[in-house]
Amino acid sequence: MKIAARVGLLVASALTALSCNSTTSAKSALYFGKIEPPQGQVMRYISGSEPESLDPQVSTGQPEARIYLALYEGLTEYHPVTGQVIPAIAERWDVNANNTEFTFYLRQTARWSNGDPITARDFVYSLRRGLSPALAARSAYLAYSIKGAQAYNEGKGRAEDIGIQAVDDYTLKITLTTPVPYLTGLVAHQFFRLVPRKAIEKHGDAWTRPENIVTCGAFKVQSWRAYDRLIVVRDPMYWDAGVVKLDQITFYPVEDTTTQMILYKAGEVDAVYNHTVPYAWVDEMRRLKDYMDKPENAIEYYMLNTKKAPTNDLRVRRAFNMAIDKDALAVYRRVVKPLTAFTPEGIFPGYPQPRGDPFDPEKARALLAEAGYRDANGKYDPKKFPVSDMEISFNTNEPNKQTAEFVQAQWKKHLQLTVPLKNVEWKTFLDSRAKLEYKGAARAGWVGDYMDPYTFLDLFSTEFGDNGTGWSPPEYVAMLREANTEHDPAKRYERLARAEVFLLAAQPIIPLYTSGSDWLKKPFVKGMYANPLTLHAWKYVYIEHDRSKWDIDDPPLSTN
Amino acid sequence: MLRFIVRRLIVTVPMVLVVVSLTWALIRLAPGNFYTGEKPIPPAIQKNLREKYGLDKPWYVQYGKMVSNTLHGDFGLSLKYQGQPVNTILRNALPVSATVGLLAYLLALVVGIVSGTLAALRQNSKLDYSSMAVAMLGISVPNFVLGPMLVLLFSLTWYVLPPALWGGAKHLILPVLTLSGVYMAYIARLTRSGMLEVLRSNYIRTARAKGLSERHVLMHHALRGGLLPVVSFSGPALAFLVTGTVVVERIFALPGLGNYFINANFNRDEPLIIGIVAFISIVILLFNLLVDIAYGFIDPRVRY
Repeated sequence: MKIAARVGLLVASALTALSCNSTTSAKSALYFGKIEPPQGQVMRYISGSEPESLDPQVSTGQPEARIYLALYEGLTEYHPVTGQVIPAIAERWDVNANNTEFTFYLRQTARWSNGDPITARDFVYSLRRGLSPALAARSAYLAYSIKGAQAYNEGKGRAEDIGIQAVDDYTLKITLTTPVPYLTGLVAHQFFRLVPRKAIEKHGDAWTRPENIVTCGAFKVQSWRAYDRLIVVRDPMYWDAGVVKLDQITFYPVEDTTTQMILYKAGEVDAVYNHTVPYAWVDEMRRLKDYMDKPENAIEYYMLNTKKAPTNDLRVRRAFNMAIDKDALAVYRRVVKPLTAFTPEGIFPGYPQPRGDPFDPEKARALLAEAGYRDANGKYDPKKFPVSDMEISFNTNEPNKQTAEFVQAQWKKHLQLTVPLKNVEWKTFLDSRAKLEYKGAARAGWVGDYMDPYTFLDLFSTEFGDNGTGWSPPEYVAMLREANTEHDPAKRYERLARAEVFLLAAQPIIPLYTSGSDWLKKPFVKGMYANPLTLHAWKYVYIEHDRSKWDIDDPPLSTN
Repeated sequence: MLRFIVRRLIVTVPMVLVVVSLTWALIRLAPGNFYTGEKPIPPAIQKNLREKYGLDKPWYVQYGKMVSNTLHGDFGLSLKYQGQPVNTILRNALPVSATVGLLAYLLALVVGIVSGTLAALRQNSKLDYSSMAVAMLGISVPNFVLGPMLVLLFSLTWYVLPPALWGGAKHLILPVLTLSGVYMAYIARLTRSGMLEVLRSNYIRTARAKGLSERHVLMHHALRGGLLPVVSFSGPALAFLVTGTVVVERIFALPGLGNYFINANFNRDEPLIIGIVAFISIVILLFNLLVDIAYGFIDPRVRY
């Protein structure tokens, strides 16, 4: 009896603990959980899945990118607030009139973590290595606009013919085949960050092990244990070491979002990466000062199979788009902004973003009637529509399911069609999407590789042939290419926007929303901002031990 | 006895080969591969990747390489965690899983056997009913419920234990408790029913008739027979526990084999999957062998 009573007590106290917690934090608390800054300048961050590698050229993911911003630098860097380009190893740069030749002037104080100076030749080596077929880097295509890059990567050219040239130790020239006005933003991508030639040639694949690794960022590796933690410490060799405030960052590869929230609440970590707050917690978290909410350089949309009936008919594609209330979807999903276009809203200042078709269920039904799904009186008749040829497929994941259920309900309400949902394991899903085997609609998301609308619009250029929709007309590709020859940024944006209008009119996709950053940080973490990339330039981050400054916004940042 | 052990060890090799071959075939049947991602990769880069990892070779060459790797006990490089040998991953992850698993099982054994024995000795008493009720609860509450409940109490209410991550002894307490719950309950029930059966048997009555003390009867005669079901349960249970438990390792973010195993499957990381599967099957076969050997010592009726 005694044991049973004890168990009862345990359960009861657990339940009270749960209810107390939620009521106190909802009413009074400003912050979530325990707030006690770590000793000294030490930061603990949950960075997502276990990093594939510490080699910036071979891994493509965001979890790695978050870490690379501490360890590696390239010519340029992402601004911690806006995500726009700031100088890094390149102090400044020149561009020729038609955006095909870039000259970068490197700072002479930049050094590797082993003290060796960084010169233009290191950039030449890094790019050649990144493009070598033997390395098989998955992001190599990002450099294809550089002269000779694609040929070399495809095994048809020579490394020496790639359009990257060390004019002298501190001057680097990059020659392109097509104009790339956003190149300075592109080269901040992890693929273009510097890798150490000597260490790679000496250790081969093993160069990324903590005992062999040489880096060039504000921090260097101290220890790394897979699935446990990566500890990086301030690198005194770094050219801007005077600005760096943190002595140490610990990156934890925790995948389970509930575990992340628990670690955060218990004060075991100081910040977590984006899209981590569980749906059910968002309303409560939004009230707290921990919550970091900003639109991201990322969109969520449905691809439509333009090669298979019924979505091969433009009228059907438009109808299905117009029958979704995007504003209601954004409210329902809580952490996103509604989207009618194909580029994220409010991310690219000065970009005249077009608007896609508005929510208009009546017009949607009319379009379907026009497409032949009508009764004798010419009115829309849902019974005529081959609903068994439609599906919403998505990869297994709770938010994807919520979105799909919402869209399903919208189509049922406005079109009287119950489109089946199909949830598929990730790799299986990607396979069916790339091969255009899915019926109707398939979920898709895209995180921009750089801060320019082109990273979204380029998805439908023919080059790789599997954008998942089967839509890629040559005139669209030509519009994009021509826009990039424009030197004046405002005019170029106008032309890109025209291409986007063209894309929206053809409706190979249904835009759903612009993602929101949706992450948490403790009040004592300063210099870390909700930015459109959720990539943080760690050199500006610090721990504020003075409690009186916690609630004050961070001072404006000066970046050199 | 020695002949028996040698025979069983020899059989292990073909059995492991059958297991890894089936696994290998299943990976081939699953759509997608390790380099597919949200961002489509141009065909030329796919070709580079296939060449780099030998996926452009005919299937029998790839299969032959996998078999030879398995026989040599060297599973090659992981596809996902680039540059990392599968053997190194196993070597780093195994101690974590084994520590948590062994501790959990020891705890389960001690608590399970003691409470099961007490319940059997005082059959139909309050103690018996309450401990069996708790055991029933333990079996029914899955560890993904038990874990968060413990975390809620110890980490978020009283702030006495870390909620997750790998560190010192403190970090072990909650995962071990969570993991041992079900096994504790199961062992308690097994012990109780085993003991009840043995206590009624003729040889116990004989022992008592000889005038042996109740303590001697229990420790020397009854427990040996009563624990047989627990012993046969222990083999596979221990094998699963020490090779990593997916749920507990995920909830507590432990750098063990379970985490690798589940992600290797999602990532289509063939060498890593093969390595872990081969390793787990060897461990299961060995533990079963150990159980069979243990039988020879515990049960005088068993002869090899």
